[in-house]
Amino acid sequence: MKILRPADFLVLTVGAAIVGASYGAFWSERVEGDEAVVSVGHDEVARISLQDDGKFPVSGILGESVLRVKDGQVRFVESPCPGRFCVHAGWISRTGQVAACLPNGVVVEVRGGVREFDAINL
Amino acid sequence: MIDQSRRMSCAATWLACLATFVVTGCDRTPPETRHRFTAMGTLVEVTVFDHSAEAATEAALEIESLFLDLEHQWDPWDDGELGAVNAAVSVGEDSTPGPDLARLVGRASELARKSDGMFDPTVGELVRLWGFDDADRIPERPPPAGEIRRVLDSRAPLPTLWDAADGTLRGHEGVTIDLGGFAKGVAVDRAIALLRERGVDNAIVNAGGDLRAIGRRGDRPWKIGVRAPRGGGILAAIEISGDESVFTSGDYERFFDFQDRRFHHIIDPRTGYPTLGLVSVTVVHDDAATADAACTALMVAGPERWPAVAKALGLRHVMVVDADGRVHMGKGTEVRVTILDEGALPIAIRELQ
Repeated sequence: MKILRPADFLVLTVGAAIVGASYGAFWSERVEGDEAVVSVGHDEVARISLQDDGKFPVSGILGESVLRVKDGQVRFVESPCPGRFCVHAGWISRTGQVAACLPNGVVVEVRGGVREFDAINL
Repeated sequence: MIDQSRRMSCAATWLACLATFVVTGCDRTPPETRHRFTAMGTLVEVTVFDHSAEAATEAALEIESLFLDLEHQWDPWDDGELGAVNAAVSVGEDSTPGPDLARLVGRASELARKSDGMFDPTVGELVRLWGFDDADRIPERPPPAGEIRRVLDSRAPLPTLWDAADGTLRGHEGVTIDLGGFAKGVAVDRAIALLRERGVDNAIVNAGGDLRAIGRRGDRPWKIGVRAPRGGGILAAIEISGDESVFTSGDYERFFDFQDRRFHHIIDPRTGYPTLGLVSVTVVHDDAATADAACTALMVAGPERWPAVAKALGLRHVMVVDADGRVHMGKGTEVRVTILDEGALPIAIRELQ
């Protein structure tokens, strides 16, 4: 009596493929994020998909900051703050990266992938 | 036929079990709580791992209150305690700060002495002259050279003004104490102490990228990325298990360009101008206060003297990037720091001496 027959091999092969695919889906180190979570003060005010290219205005304490999304990245492009550090900070796209306009109280965090680092020394 | 069907059913059940384990078997991650707020002109984030979310949030809110209180008390120009001390000292009157601020000034004076004046909080008036005193504003041009000279001449090193025996700061016209290169580190240390008192064993307190981490993140160390001083990528990675601080200062944090030259916020107390030669300094040290002051001191010390100043301050791990983009490390630091930038030039190892 054979222990394994051709059909068993078929089932095992398909099963191994499913396990392999699951591993890739659940354990891969995809650090690029899916969305930008926008907060003003302690309140979350918007979630923007990083696939939706365009400009997104956000009302802050001083006035309107404008975020731009392009090719899976996000950045400040306009802000009413005097120093404009937020605009100079440039693009962010890795999960956990944060850009902020402190005077206007607007904070943007990239989320959705795997955090490569628990914190980034700036 | 029935046997084959039963066998396939059995195999499918095993596969389903295996798939279930693959999907859910490791999904027992303890809670991670993050709380973010703005204080001391920067974004502060408290991360607590493997602790009840409610207790972690409560502790993080206490830290927010702590930072906001210290920001007020230690602002050089506001109406808090340091502002009051400066109001007296800058017009030539002696001032005796309260016990907490006295400890802070005493420690800053000791670091100023050890670093041979490379770190010195009496640069306050120079910082203001350059326009870097207001976190919300960026200057457009350097101040006139004559003004820099005048303010520089009126400056006196902190160790010559601080009388540790009676806890008094001697009045000296034109001197303002600015603890900006030190206070953030002290606040981070106090925040970590508060977390420990609340029973938190695994956490990061990150003040604008400068941080102290305790414990681990579950079965792995905390992973810290160090920003590249040019281009915005990640230069290096550092793993922390236990209790360590990682601080970085650089010429890219607050700066303006004028006539094709970069002028940044770290002022050399000897020249009155922004430091030259190094574009960033990263210090890994036990306490955050020393790491904070050391970053400033080593930026001022420059490419030749940083190893000597690092040794004088008792630092163990230092990484600097020079104006050519080359990474230099203190001997032994290469074991702790992994360079991720594939385009980086070979690392130069320096003996701390």
